[in-house]
Amino acid sequence: MRYELVAGLETHVELSTKTKIFCGCTTEFGGSPNTHCCPICIGLPGTLPKLNKEVVRYAIRAGLATNCEISRISKMDRKNYCYPDLSKAYQISQYDKPLCKNGYIELSNGRRIRLNRIHIEEDAGKLIHQKGDTYVDYNRGGVPLIEIVTEPDFRSVDEVREYVEKLQLIMRYIGVSDCKMQEGSMRCDVNISVRPEGQKEFGTRTEIKNMNSIAFMAKAIEYEQERQIDIIESGGSVQQETLRYDDVTNTTSSMRGKEDANDYRYFRDPDLVTINVTDQEVEELEATIPELPDEKLERYVEKLGIPEADAQLLVKYRRVAEYFEKASEGTANPRTAANFIIGQIFRTIENESAKEEFDIPVSAESLRELIKLLDSKKIRMNLAKSTLDKMLETGKKVSDLISEKDMGGLDEEATKKLCQEAVDANPNAVADYKGGKEKAIKAIVGYVMKNSRGKADAMKAEEIIKQIIQ
Amino acid sequence: MVSHEDVIQIARLAKLSVKEDELEAMTKEMQSIVDFADAINNAPTDGEEFDNINNLSNVFREDVVVESYPTEKILENAGDKADDCFLVKKRCL
Ligand SMILES: [Zn+2]
Repeated sequence: MRYELVAGLETHVELSTKTKIFCGCTTEFGGSPNTHCCPICIGLPGTLPKLNKEVVRYAIRAGLATNCEISRISKMDRKNYCYPDLSKAYQISQYDKPLCKNGYIELSNGRRIRLNRIHIEEDAGKLIHQKGDTYVDYNRGGVPLIEIVTEPDFRSVDEVREYVEKLQLIMRYIGVSDCKMQEGSMRCDVNISVRPEGQKEFGTRTEIKNMNSIAFMAKAIEYEQERQIDIIESGGSVQQETLRYDDVTNTTSSMRGKEDANDYRYFRDPDLVTINVTDQEVEELEATIPELPDEKLERYVEKLGIPEADAQLLVKYRRVAEYFEKASEGTANPRTAANFIIGQIFRTIENESAKEEFDIPVSAESLRELIKLLDSKKIRMNLAKSTLDKMLETGKKVSDLISEKDMGGLDEEATKKLCQEAVDANPNAVADYKGGKEKAIKAIVGYVMKNSRGKADAMKAEEIIKQIIQ
Repeated sequence: MVSHEDVIQIARLAKLSVKEDELEAMTKEMQSIVDFADAINNAPTDGEEFDNINNLSNVFREDVVVESYPTEKILENAGDKADDCFLVKKRCL
């Protein structure tokens, strides 16, 4: 029998506000243990949390960028559970009135992954388990999070992967989070079940918690899918439980079963008042949403004539896209800038995170200057390429590297002279060409290009050389 | 109606132990608390959604960093501490 995967995702994204959600402590990553704390974020009795306005704005922007409805009335609730990462024994979250709901993200296969909700909440502290004891650092406690919850709409691991990458990119484009999975600023829980192909009802699902790499998540889903199919095939039934994925052994193991399922006893947090959002505020925030990756991709392909594969590489990193737009502005063909970036510039960048940063020694304005010299035929491609290499190496500007006398093509007179010289200097190649080896002429043209420092027009030179030989 | 099982479950979630002979009395007390809450729930509100006693909304702070507390202060009330961290002994978990 063939089985179909059914998966849903809950993604926690740390917001990049300057301060925590309910107090003025910094959200900076790391720091010595318990140095970014105050009585509010360690939950001492008698303290009063006060909501960070920016958290609401960031979350609404995340909702708008993912096609959500924005709730005009929203509130905070207490989610009760007892574990040392929460000093208060409850997490302040949102239960029945999340800030955003009913959104979607569209995948490249045309399927829409529906978002049930996006709500705001506080992050928990960090636990360090050592020698059987647990050390608690509350620096991360109270850092604002949004939780983005999908419907069980995924039918393949590839869809999950694409969704996570897309979500990551959208959040980065709108600047609400850096979404660094390694640093934990983006983490995913996955619900997984399987069912025989064609069956309508869902199977029993399990949940894998806290995955912080797309590659591991894909492996974990594949493993869990197989495990469930094996159970069903051998006549058993899948138990509803919460699992942990071990990336070393590539297996899942049980954290807790259905009988110890958490009973969170949500209730309204009486310390925090209602959040009212006006139409005007939503409109204002809507206006701050930049062009998103999908829209950019379409524009690059349709309007700018960039091949789709290249356009994808450009929109994949927000800073690269910005750089490309600046460098190609007012140039004859945006493809020139695209080719320089994807080719020569990317070659100098080692890895994904460096592409993300895109901190290169050549400014977009400098690259544009170089392209304009090409456009106006003051320099030729060979010289442009070698100049860009030097710029990348030294950080020098175009004007430092190309002098007036390098500019301007060789005039007809000078080209003819050089061609004659080339023919005289390469008797063997001339003989080969005359003997029928058409390609031999390239060597003679090469001589011209080299001795004109790339300024001669290669096509023109070939023409002249043929005339001289015949 | 509050049952013995409800009380046991609530005690378990609150990490409290309940002795067998306390169960009946606690169940009755719990029932009277629930009845009290029900009385509030049943108060006439003319269909208006009642939010909070002062009808406050949108109390926000600006996203401006203020200095955190020194680590010694943060750990001052900790039962156990080590290496600038709160320490939770294994038996507590
Ligand atoms: Zn604080």
